[in-house]
Amino acid sequence: MRSIEVIAGTKVQYLSHELLFLALSGQPYRGTVAIAFESIGESFNLLDFKVYLTSLRSQTFTAENIAHEIYQKIQSHIKTKDLGIIIDLSSRGGIQQRLAFGADFALVKKETIFQVG
Amino acid sequence: MSNSTLTLLGDKNTQYSYEYKPELLETFENTHQGNDYWVSLNADEFTSLCPITNQPDFATLVISYIPHVKMVESKSLKLYLFSFMNSGEFHEEVVNKIGKDLVKLMQPKYLEIIGLFYPRGNISIHPTFSYHNGKKKYKKLEKYRFMNRNLNPKRQG
Repeated sequence: MRSIEVIAGTKVQYLSHELLFLALSGQPYRGTVAIAFESIGESFNLLDFKVYLTSLRSQTFTAENIAHEIYQKIQSHIKTKDLGIIIDLSSRGGIQQRLAFGADFALVKKETIFQVG
Repeated sequence: MSNSTLTLLGDKNTQYSYEYKPELLETFENTHQGNDYWVSLNADEFTSLCPITNQPDFATLVISYIPHVKMVESKSLKLYLFSFMNSGEFHEEVVNKIGKDLVKLMQPKYLEIIGLFYPRGNISIHPTFSYHNGKKKYKKLEKYRFMNRNLNPKRQG
């Protein structure tokens, strides 16, 4: 992931409802990923991040480790302050999982992103 | 009711296919064939690939039908829908293909599928497939729903 210059002190949040990866069983897992940090001079190139997210479609993870995977990926490419990741996975067997890694933050809500209420 | 043809439901060693595989679909018998009733199956995790750019597409599929003799078994439907994951299909192609596969499988009295795809390039595409079995009642139903579709468009996404 290439970095881009962002004025230090800018609070950045990203949200994608298009997270997809494979569980150990091979069943695809769908979810939402939210990322928040305070810039200390840079962020990542969004196109590169999209390509990275897409690459997870063919990778297998234990669901509980997916937040750490994304955290590590960002940490290894850009310097941030208070980086936090929150993942909401779609329910499996009636159970919904929320996974968080790094700094706590309030999750941005965009009510209209899903097309069926 | 005979469920002897069901092989996937309850199978502990489920195999997932990421390439289009219509033979995954299985049915069970409708035990209320004398009644007309709706069955709606909502698939919020549908995904496929753009055939040109190879970028992922996502959608909610709303499948509604009035069963005749056969009904689609939902686990087999889940596995069938996952099999589109690495298939390159336009949104319109996906919805028509699934519609035709389900008609071939079940021969329902009536069936419709609406694909609510996530926006790409600021545009979300919502193709609809519909089918009736030729009987007057279902033909009339299909015509009514076709002609009245999206009369009051609302902002989506």
